[in-house]
Amino acid sequence: MSFATVIPKRPGEMLWFGLLCLGMMAGAVGVVQVLIHGHDHVYNVSREIPWGILISTYVFFVVSSTGLCLVSSLGDVWGFEKFAIIGRRGHLLALLTLVTGFGTMAMELNHPIRMGLYAIISPNFTSAIWWMGALYGFYMVCLIVEFTSLMRGWTRLAFWSGLAGFFAAITAHSNLGAVFGLLEARHFWYGSYMPIYFIVSALASGAALTVLIVYFNHKARGIEMPPVYQEFMYTMGKLQALFLGILLFFVVWKIIPGLYGQPPEKYETTMAWITGPLAFNFWFFELGLGILIPLIIVANRRTRTVFGVMIAGLLSTIGIFFMRYDLVIAGQMVSMRPEAVEGASHGLIHYFPSFTEIGIVIGALCLCLFLYSLAERVFDLEGGHRH
Amino acid sequence: MARLLEKKVSRRHFMGLSSCALATIAIGSQVKVLKALAKDGRIDAPTGLGSKDVYSSCGMCVNKCGFIARVKDGVIQKLDPNPEFFIRSRAMLCARGNAGVKVVYDPDRLKYPLVRVEGSKRGEGKFRRATWEEALDLVAKNMNEIKDKYSRASVMFASTEGTFSEHFFTQLAECYGSPNTLRHPTLCLSSNIQGFGATFGTNPTPDVLNADFIIMSGANRSEALMTPDSIDLLRGDGGKRKLIYLDPRFTKTSAKADEWYPIKPGTDMAFILAMIHVIVTENLQDQAFIDEFTVGFEQLVPHVAPYTPEWAATECEIPAADIRRIAKEFAAAAPRAVYYQGRRSSFMANDTQMRRAMAILNAIVGNWDTKGGLIPNANIELTKHDYLAPWYDEDIPGRLDEGSVTYLSEKDGAWPAFRDRALAADPYPIKGMMVYKQNPLASVPNRAKTLKLMEQMDFICTIDITMSDTAWYSDVVLPEATYLERQDPLEALGGIVPVVAFRQPCIPPMFESKESLWIIQEIAKRLSEEIAAEFDFTMEEHLHHQVKHNPQILEDLRTKGIYYESTEPNYGRTRGTALKTKSGKIEIFSQKYADNGLDPLPVYTRPTAVPSNRYRLLVGRHAYFTHGTTANNPYLHDIMPENTLWLNPVEAQKLGLKNGQMVKVRSAVGEEKLKLEVTQKIRPDSVYMAHGFGVLSKAQTNIYGKGGSDAALIEEKYCPISGNVAMHETFVEILPA
Amino acid sequence: MSNKRYAMVLDTRKCIDCKACTVACKAENHVPLGRENYRNWVMEEALRGRYPNLGQEFTPGQCMHCANTPCKRVCPTKATGVNADGIVTVENKKCIGCKYCMTACPYNARYYNEEIGAVDKCTFCEHRILTGREPACVETCPTRVRVFGDLNDPNSEVSLLLAKHPHRVMKPEMGTKPYLFYLI
Repeated sequence: MSFATVIPKRPGEMLWFGLLCLGMMAGAVGVVQVLIHGHDHVYNVSREIPWGILISTYVFFVVSSTGLCLVSSLGDVWGFEKFAIIGRRGHLLALLTLVTGFGTMAMELNHPIRMGLYAIISPNFTSAIWWMGALYGFYMVCLIVEFTSLMRGWTRLAFWSGLAGFFAAITAHSNLGAVFGLLEARHFWYGSYMPIYFIVSALASGAALTVLIVYFNHKARGIEMPPVYQEFMYTMGKLQALFLGILLFFVVWKIIPGLYGQPPEKYETTMAWITGPLAFNFWFFELGLGILIPLIIVANRRTRTVFGVMIAGLLSTIGIFFMRYDLVIAGQMVSMRPEAVEGASHGLIHYFPSFTEIGIVIGALCLCLFLYSLAERVFDLEGGHRH
Repeated sequence: MARLLEKKVSRRHFMGLSSCALATIAIGSQVKVLKALAKDGRIDAPTGLGSKDVYSSCGMCVNKCGFIARVKDGVIQKLDPNPEFFIRSRAMLCARGNAGVKVVYDPDRLKYPLVRVEGSKRGEGKFRRATWEEALDLVAKNMNEIKDKYSRASVMFASTEGTFSEHFFTQLAECYGSPNTLRHPTLCLSSNIQGFGATFGTNPTPDVLNADFIIMSGANRSEALMTPDSIDLLRGDGGKRKLIYLDPRFTKTSAKADEWYPIKPGTDMAFILAMIHVIVTENLQDQAFIDEFTVGFEQLVPHVAPYTPEWAATECEIPAADIRRIAKEFAAAAPRAVYYQGRRSSFMANDTQMRRAMAILNAIVGNWDTKGGLIPNANIELTKHDYLAPWYDEDIPGRLDEGSVTYLSEKDGAWPAFRDRALAADPYPIKGMMVYKQNPLASVPNRAKTLKLMEQMDFICTIDITMSDTAWYSDVVLPEATYLERQDPLEALGGIVPVVAFRQPCIPPMFESKESLWIIQEIAKRLSEEIAAEFDFTMEEHLHHQVKHNPQILEDLRTKGIYYESTEPNYGRTRGTALKTKSGKIEIFSQKYADNGLDPLPVYTRPTAVPSNRYRLLVGRHAYFTHGTTANNPYLHDIMPENTLWLNPVEAQKLGLKNGQMVKVRSAVGEEKLKLEVTQKIRPDSVYMAHGFGVLSKAQTNIYGKGGSDAALIEEKYCPISGNVAMHETFVEILPA
Repeated sequence: MSNKRYAMVLDTRKCIDCKACTVACKAENHVPLGRENYRNWVMEEALRGRYPNLGQEFTPGQCMHCANTPCKRVCPTKATGVNADGIVTVENKKCIGCKYCMTACPYNARYYNEEIGAVDKCTFCEHRILTGREPACVETCPTRVRVFGDLNDPNSEVSLLLAKHPHRVMKPEMGTKPYLFYLI
C-alpha cells in the first residue's frame, strides 16, 4: 500500500477525483460560511422548520448505512454464501456513510461538542435522540470491529460483531424513525409507522447501493464482471424488486390514511406532499425514479441485466434521497400556529435549502464517495472472495 | 450584537456566497457603531433590578407615560411602567414605550453634528461630521444673512409637540423676530379644537372610564393609542359599556366594538345630524340642561328637520333603523354617553363643522362636566417662563399665512396654506428653515410640494434625534439628546385628573448629542447678545422657576416621576361658571361663526363622489408607530417591516390583482409603489395605507426602500376654518407594478 | 416554603394586539432582533365573516409551561427541565442545538437564540418573580389581558379567576396540560 497506489493515473479516474474534489470544496465553502456567520444566517431553516436538508441528508446517509449493513450481513452473519462477496465493501461503505452522516448532522447541530459531553454526563433516557445517538455510537463500534475482522480474517469476531451490528443497525435505525414517530405535535410523523418504515426503506437503500458498488468497482477497474458477481447482481435485482414492492406498499398506506377522512394536519401535509410544493419531488423523484421505474426494470426478466440492475439501483438511490428530504420537510410544513406565519399559503410553511446548505450536502456526498474511492485503492476489499 | 445586523440582511434569503460577502462589508461600518454603543460590546443578560432606577416620561409619542428606567453600569437595561403613573397612563407601557431603549442604542441615531458636503445636492445624503462650533456658527451665519438679505420673517421655524422643550425653540423664533412658527396642530387636531372650542369654549376630555355608551367616528383607539382612553375602553368595564364604532376600515377597534359600521368616508356628519334629528323630534334631549347651559337650541330644531335617518342612510350607508336605535340608546344612556371626538387629523375639508355637530350632539344630551360625559380639562398651575423678545427697529411683516383661514392660530400657523404662499413668495419670500423634531416631508400632504419648498431655501437646519427625511434634506443636522438622555422642563398635563410630568436623564447624552436648550442657547449666543440674554438661565434654574410656588412638585417628580394633587376626578367644576365662549354658555348656535360668514349650525356637504376606476385613499395608524418617527426602531421594525395597500377582494378581482403583489398607487400629486394586501377589512370604494413608510432618508436603514409614503400621495386640501389638512380627499388609481 | 404552581390567565377579550408584551419581553430578556426571535406573541386569528360582517380575535401566547412537557421529554441532554414551581426552564450550557424541542412543542413557543447559543423561550421572567415583580409582559400590558400568579394559593387572583370563569387551554388534545389559561 504505497502512496503511489493512491494517486489516480487514468484520465477517467482523474476526472472522477477532480469532480469529487470540486464537490468537497463546495462543502468546505459551506462549512466556512457556517463557522463565520453562524447557522442562522446561512441556513434557511427557521423557527417553524428547524430541521432542513442537512437533517434529511443525515437520515439518507444513516438509512444507507443501515441498509448496507443489513444486506452485507446476509453473507457474514446469516450464512448466505452469495452475499459474502459484498461483506468487506458493504461494511466499509456502511461505516463511511455513517461517519459522513454524523458529520452532516454535526453541521446542523449548533453545539456538537456540547453534545458529546452532556449526552454522557446528563443523559435523558426518554429522548429518542439520545437513544439514537447511543445506539448509532454502538453500531459504529460494531462496524469498525466487523470491518477490521473481515480484513484481518478473524471470522469468529467477524461473526459476533456482525451479529451485534445487525441488531444495532435495526434498533438504532428504528430509533431514528422514533425520533420522528414520537412527536405527538407532528401528526404526519406521529405513530409506529415511522420506525418500521425506516427499516423497510433501509433495505431498499442498502440493496441499491450494494449493486452500485459492485458494478462500478468492476467498471472503474475496467475488468469484466466475473460470473459470481453477475449472479449476485441478478439476485440483488430480485431482492430489490421485493424491497421496492414493500416500499411502494408502505407509500400507499402512508397516503391513504393521510387523505381518508381528512385528518387535521395530516391531511394538509399529505396534500402538500402529493399535490402541493413537494409534489414534483414526490411524483418524479420518489415515486418515478425511486420506486416505479427501478421496480419495472428489476421485475422484468428481460431488463434485469447487470446494467439494468445497476440503473435501477442508481435511480432508487436518487429517489430515496428525495424521499428523506420530503419526509423531513413535510412533517414540519403545517404550522403549529397557522395564523402566526407570514406569507404562509394554505397554512403551510415553505422551506427551500440555501446555497450553503446545498453546498454542504454536495460536499458530504462527495466526501463519502471520495473516502470510498480512496479506500478501494488502499484496502484489499476483494479479500477472501477473490475469484 | 454584530450578528443581529447581519441577520437582517441574510435571514430567510436564498443567498449566494458573493452576496453574503457583500453583506458583511456593508455591515462592517455598523459593527463599529454598535461596539461604540455598548462600551463592553454587549448589553448584559437580564439581572433583575438595575442598580439605578430613574423616573421619567416616555417620549415615543404624545402621551408622555411614566416609566422607570432600570440602569446598570451606565446602560439602560429596560424601561418598566411607572405604577405611580396610574392616573394618567394606567401604569402601562405600550410597544413603543418598551422599544424606547432602542432609541438610544440605535446605530441609525444621530451622533454628531453634520454638515452637508459642499457641492453636493440636498437629498444626496452626503454629510460630513462637523464640530459643534462649526455647525452652530454656520447656523447663525445663515440666519443672519437671510435676515439681512430679506427680513427676519423669512426664516420659518417648524417644531412639534411632545418634546417638553419646544417652547425654547419657539422662544428662539420670537427672539430672532420671525412670526413664522409652524407647529403640528394643522396636521393634527386643529379642526377638532376649533369645533369643540366654538361650542364649549374648550376641547374637553371624554370620561371614557365612566361612560356607559360611546360612539366613535374613526377614532381608532385600539391602534391610535391615547392614555387613558385606549385602556379604559377595555379595562374593567364589566361588559356594560357599549361601543359603537364608525370606520370605513375594520380596525382593531372594530374588532373590540359592540357594533361596527363601515361608514362611507366623509359622511359622519350626516350620521350625527340624523342622531340629533331623532333626539329632538322624539324629545329625548336633556331639556333642563339645555335651558340652563346652552344657547341656540331653538335654531337647531328646525335646522335638523331635513336630516332624517332615512336621508342619512342614503348618505352614510348606515341603515336608518340603526341610526334611530343608536340615537335612542345614546339619549337613554346620557349623561353617561359620549360621542367621542377623537383627536386625529381631519377627514374632510368640512371637518370643523363635523366636529361642531359632534359637540352639539353631546351638548343636547347634557353630558357636559358630569361623570361619564365630556369633562373640561383641569390643570395644575406651573409658573410660566417669561421673556421679553428683543425689539427690532426694522420692518418685520406679519405671518405669511395671515388671513389664509378663518381662525389662524398665531403660534401654530396653517401648514398647507403657508407652504402655498411660501412657494409663491406671496407676500414675501421664505428662505430659511429651522426645524425642531418636525418632519414635514413625512407629515405634510403632497410631499413633492414640500420638497419644492425646501429646494427654494437658502438654508435648512434640523435638530432631531434621528435622520428623518427632513433632516436628510437639510444643510446642517444637529443631534439632540434623546428623551432618555436629557433633562426636560416640567409639563402640566391637563385632563380629567391633571398631573405634572417631566424628564430626567437616565444616562448622560451619548456621542455628541446635546440637550435642546443647550443647542438653542448656543445658537442664540451666536445670533446676538440681546437674544442670548433671553436665554441666560440654566435648566436647573428653569425647573426651580417652574415650581417656585410649590417646590414639592419637583421633589415628587424626581422621586416618583409624577406629581398630582388628587387621584379622583372633580366633576362639575365649571357648572355655574361662565364658559370661554362669547355667551359664556354652550353655543349650539354660534353667533361668532355667523358673524364671520360661516354656517352658525353645521350644514352637511356631501363628499365628492369617488370617480370611476379610482379609490378614496384612507390613512391611519397602528399601535406600533408614532406618525413618521418610529418605524425604523429595530424592535418595532420587527413587528411591522413595511406597509401595505389594503384593497377589498371584490375590487382586487375586478382589477385582476393578487394579494402580496406589488402595485403602483397613483394620485394627482404622486405615485408610490407598495405591496397589495387583499382584505375584507375595507370598504370596496376605498384603499388604505399605514403612515410612516416610503421614506427618502437612506439613513433609516431598516425601512428605507420599504413600503410607500402616504404624504407623497395625499393632496393638500384643507379646512378653510381651522386650516387643518383634509386627509381623505384624495383619489387614487391602482396599477400592477 | 412550599412550592408554587405558577400559571397565567389571559382574557383575550381585552387584547387589542398592541404588541406591548412582545416588545417588553424582547427588551427585558434581551431577545435578539429579528422577526422570528420572540418569546411571546400576539396572534391575529383568522378574520371571521365577510365584509361588512366581520369579527376577529387576538390571542397572546408564550410557553405554556406544560405539566406534561413534550420539550422536556425529547431533550437528549436534559437541558430543558421543569423547576419546583412549575416553570419550564432551559439550561443554556447543556443545549446542543438539535432543535428537537422546537419540533416537539405544539405551540411553536421556542426559537434558537444565536446570541446565547441555546434554544430560548418564555421563563415567566423568573428573575423578576424572584424579586417580587410580575413578568414583564404582565406588568406592561395596557389592558391587563394577562394575570400571573400561583395556583397553589387558592386565594391568588389566578385561582379566583379560574374558579369563577370558564376557561380553556390551547390544543388540549395534545395532552400537554398547559398552564396558560384563556378565559372564555
